[in-house]
Amino acid sequence: MAPSAALLPGNLEMVILKAISLGDVHGYGVLLRIEQISGGAILVQQGALYPALYRLEHKGLIAARWGTSDNNRRAKFYHLTALGRRQLSKEQNSWQRLADAIARSLTATLQET
Amino acid sequence: MTGLPGGASVAGLLARVRSLYRGLRHRADVESDMVEEFGHHLAERTDDLIRQGLAPDAADRQARREFGHAGTHRAQAREAIGLRSFAQLRFSWLDVKLGLRMLLKHPMLSLAAVFALAVGIPVGLAPSHIARALEAPLPGDADDRVRAIRFWDPLSSGVAPTWDDEFTFWQATLHSFSSLAAFRTSTYNVSLADGPSAPAAGALLSASAFNVLRAGPLLGRVLDSGDFAAGAPDVVVIGYALWSSRFGRDPGVLGRSIRIGRTLHTVVGVMPDGFRFPANEELWLPLRLASVGGVDERTPVRVLGRLADGVSVQQAQAELSSTGVPPLINADDAAERSRLRPEVVPFGLLYLGLPAGGLDSLTEFRFVQMLMFVLLLVACGNVAMLVFARTATRFRELAIRTALGASRSRIISQIFVETLLLAVVAAGVGVLVVNWALAHVNLAALAGESALPYWLSLDVTPATVFSALALAAVSATVAGVAPAIAITGHAFSRNIRDRSGVHFGGLTSALVVADIAVSVAAVGMALAISAHATDLQAANRATGIAASEYLAVEFRLPADDRGFTGARADLGARDRLRARLAADQRALVAALEQEPGVKRVAVGDVLPRMEHRSRPYELEGVDHAPDAPRRWTRLARVDAGFFDALERPILSGRNFVRTDAEQDAQVAIVNTAFVERVLEGRNPIGRRVRFPLAADTGSAAWYRIVGVVGPLGVDMLNAERGEAVYLPAAPGTINPMQLGVHAVTSPASLTGRVREVARTVDPDLVMGRVSVLSDVRQGDWYLVMGLAAGLVLLVGVLIALATSGLYAMLSLSVSERTREIGIRAALGASRPSLLATILKRSLLQIGLGAAIGLPIAARFVFELTGTPDGGGSVLRSMALALGLSAGIVALVGLSSCLVPTRRVLAIEATEAIRAES
Repeated sequence: MAPSAALLPGNLEMVILKAISLGDVHGYGVLLRIEQISGGAILVQQGALYPALYRLEHKGLIAARWGTSDNNRRAKFYHLTALGRRQLSKEQNSWQRLADAIARSLTATLQET
Repeated sequence: MTGLPGGASVAGLLARVRSLYRGLRHRADVESDMVEEFGHHLAERTDDLIRQGLAPDAADRQARREFGHAGTHRAQAREAIGLRSFAQLRFSWLDVKLGLRMLLKHPMLSLAAVFALAVGIPVGLAPSHIARALEAPLPGDADDRVRAIRFWDPLSSGVAPTWDDEFTFWQATLHSFSSLAAFRTSTYNVSLADGPSAPAAGALLSASAFNVLRAGPLLGRVLDSGDFAAGAPDVVVIGYALWSSRFGRDPGVLGRSIRIGRTLHTVVGVMPDGFRFPANEELWLPLRLASVGGVDERTPVRVLGRLADGVSVQQAQAELSSTGVPPLINADDAAERSRLRPEVVPFGLLYLGLPAGGLDSLTEFRFVQMLMFVLLLVACGNVAMLVFARTATRFRELAIRTALGASRSRIISQIFVETLLLAVVAAGVGVLVVNWALAHVNLAALAGESALPYWLSLDVTPATVFSALALAAVSATVAGVAPAIAITGHAFSRNIRDRSGVHFGGLTSALVVADIAVSVAAVGMALAISAHATDLQAANRATGIAASEYLAVEFRLPADDRGFTGARADLGARDRLRARLAADQRALVAALEQEPGVKRVAVGDVLPRMEHRSRPYELEGVDHAPDAPRRWTRLARVDAGFFDALERPILSGRNFVRTDAEQDAQVAIVNTAFVERVLEGRNPIGRRVRFPLAADTGSAAWYRIVGVVGPLGVDMLNAERGEAVYLPAAPGTINPMQLGVHAVTSPASLTGRVREVARTVDPDLVMGRVSVLSDVRQGDWYLVMGLAAGLVLLVGVLIALATSGLYAMLSLSVSERTREIGIRAALGASRPSLLATILKRSLLQIGLGAAIGLPIAARFVFELTGTPDGGGSVLRSMALALGLSAGIVALVGLSSCLVPTRRVLAIEATEAIRAES
C-alpha cells in the first residue's frame, strides 16, 4: 500500500466526483472506491464524507436515488449530473495544469531558469 | 471547488434553490434519509470488519468509532444544504410577547409605524382588489358559469357591437353554452296610468335571460316564452326599487298597468331587492328580435350565456373562435367584421369594455399598481428607519443576547417578529378603515355615476384579508429584516467589542435621502396640481362660452321598437326612428325658443365643457409619415344654429347652414386652437380634413373646412389649447342629444318647464341628466381634482412619516457621535465648528434628497401641462414647493440634529468621553 496523502482543502469534492463518475455508488462505496483508485493513498475521514456528498448534491453536481446494495440493503446511490461532469472535467484540467506547473518548478535546474 | 461552477451558474443556482426548497418543504424526509444513509454506512462497515475477522460486537463498536458522532455529521450535512440558518429562525411566543412589549414601550414610534403601514398596505392592496371584483361572478352565479360573448376590435382596443343576427347564429351553433341570452338597455319614461312620468333605466331581455342568470321573481313570474310571441300582450317585470317607489310595495301589483313611453304594460312580476341586471336597471321587457331584415335592420345586442356542464371557459373560447363569426351579409361588412375577435369573457369585462386580460392587461393599470406598490415601499422604508432607530437603542440588549449565544439569524428573526406584529396590527387597522370607508363613501358618486353596477362588490372578502396579511409579511420583511441585517452585520461583533454602539452606514443614509426625495417630490407635485387646478378654474371661467347662462339637458329617444310602435320591429324601423327624432328635435327646439325665459337652444352630441370624443384625423396636404403616431383632435357634431345659440361668432369663413347637414355637404368648422396648433396660423378655409378608422387607409370621407370659431371649452385641462373640429349634424342623427338652453335669467329654474315641453312634444322622449353648464365637469377635471386630493393626502402621510423617521434617524446619528464630539471639544474645537461638522452630513443628505425630488416634481409638471414651466403660476407654485418642502424637511432635519447636538455640546468633553467608554 502506498503511503497515505493528505488532501488539500477543496480537493475532497473533486476526488468524490471522480469516484462517482466511475459508476453509481452509495456513500460507503465512495470511501472504498477512493481508497481503491488512489491505491490506498487517500483515506477520507468518514465524518467528512457525508457533508461533502450533501454539498455536491446541493450544488446540483451529483444526484441520488434509493436502490438496493450488493448486500441487499436499501442504500442511497449517487450519480454524476451533466453539471457535475462538466465541473469534474474543468477541475481535472485545472488540477493537471497546476500539477504540471508544480512538477516543472520542482524539477527545474539553474540552466532552465 | 467552492462557489458556483463558472459558465453553469444559472443551472447551479437553480439546483441550490431546488435543494433548499426540498429541504424546507420535506424536512422530515431529508432527516430520515440521513439517518437511514448513515445506518447503511455503519452496517456495511461492520460487515467488512467482521469479514476481516472481528467479532460482531467488536466490529459494530469499531465501525461506530470510525464513523464518529452521527449528530455532528447531520448538523454539518444540514449546513451543507443551507438548512442551518433556517433552523435557527425559530419563532416563539416569547418573541411575540417581546414584540408586544416593544409596541407599548415606544408608543409614539409604534403609532407612526402602524400609521405608515395602515396607509401603505390598503393602498398596495387596492389595485388587485378592484381587478378581482370586476371579474367576480354575477350575484346568483355561485359556480361561476356565466360568461359574456363579445367581439373585440384589436385595432381600436375596444368592444365592437354584436348584432342580433350574430346572437341567433351563436344560439343555433354553439354547444359550449347550455343557454344564451341577449339584452339591450335603454331609458324609458315611466308613469302610472296618467300620472307624471319619470325616466327609469330598463333592459330588453331575450327569452332565456332569466334562466341564464338563474334569477327568480319575488312576486309573480319572470318573462316567459309566451311574452315573446308575435301579438303577445305588452308585459313588464319591475324591480324592487320601482315597486317600492311607484307601488308602495303593494303585493297586489301584479296585473296592474304601467305606462312605458306611450304604451301601457301589464306588470307580471317583481324582482327581489338587489337584482338590477345588467347594472342598475329597474324594469325588464321582452326583446323581440327581428326575424326578417336587411343590414339596416340589424340591432346591436349584448350577449351572455351559461357554460354547459363540464365545459371549461377555454373550451368555449376554442369553439367560439372556430365557429364564431356567422356568414356575413354583405361584402363591406365582411371587411370590417373580419378583423374582430370573438371572445368569452367575465361579464364585468364586457360591461366595462375592458380587454380579455382584465385590468391587469392594461399598461395604465400596471403603472398605477406599480405606483401604489412604490407608496407601500416608501411606507416600509420609513418604518424601516423607525425600526432601525428602535433597534439601535437596544444595542446593549442585543450585545448581551449575542454574548449569551444568540446567533445572528435568531436576533433577525426576533426583530422580524416584532415588525410583523406592527405590520399585522397595521393591516388590521387598514382593512377596518377601508371596510368602513366602503360602507360610508359613495363610490358611485366619485366615479360620476348614480350607482355602481349591482354586481360590483368592493366589500372586504377573506381573499382581501389574506392578501393584506401577505402584504403585512412582505412589509415586515422589508421594514424589519433589512434594518436587522444592517445592524447585526459584519461590524456588529466589532461594535460589541469596542462598545461603540450602532454605526449608521450607507443603507440608512440612502433611506434618509430617499425619504427626503419622495417628500420633496410629493410636496412639489401636490402644490403644482393644486395650482394647476386653480388655473383651470380661472381659465375655464375666462374662456369659452358664458356657461352659467346655459342649462344642459340630455334627451334620448329609446332606440327600440317598444317606445314608439308598441309592437315588434318591422322594415324601416331605423329610418322611422330617425324621422321621428328629427321631428321631435325640431319641435322641441322651436317650442323651447318660444318660452319666455329662453333665448336660443343649441343642439349637439356634446356641449362645451363636456367630454368631447377624440378621433384620429388627417389633414389634406400636410405631410405625415405613414408610421408616425396618429394625430388626434376633439370632434363634435352640432346643428346649424349651434354657434349662434352659444353666441360664439364665426371668426372667418362661414357658419353652418341647414342644408350642410341635410344635403350631406361634408363641411367642417375648426376652432382657433386647431388653426394655431395644426396649421400654425395658416388659413384653414378650403383645406380638407378626414377621420379615418384605424384600419381605414383611404375610404374615409373628406370634410372641407368652411369656417373658424373661437375657443368654446373642449378641453378642461387646457381651455385655450384644445383643438376641435365641428361637423354639421342633421336633426334626427344625434341620439342622445345634448341641448344647451340659453336662459334669460336663471337656467336652473327652467328645468321643470323643459320637462313639460318635452312631454308635450313626445312622451317617449326621455330627459336624462340636467345641469347648469358651468357645473358640468369633464372626467379630466375629476381626474385632476382627484389627483390633487390624493396627493394632498399622500403629502400629509409622507410628511408625517418623514418627520418621525427623519427625526429618529438623524437624532440617533448625532447621538452616536457623542464620543467623537467630546474628543473634538477636548481638543479645543469651537462650538460653531463642532456644530458645522455635525450638521454637514445631515445637510448633505437633505440637499441630496431635495436635488433628487425636485426634478421628479418638475417632470411631473411637464407631463401634466405639456410645458416645462406649466404656465406662470405653476412655475411660481414649483418655486413655492421648493421653498416649502425644503423648509419643512430642513426644519425637521435640523431640529432632529440640533436638539441632540445641543445636548452633547452642553456636557463637558471629559464626561462625554467617559460616558461612552
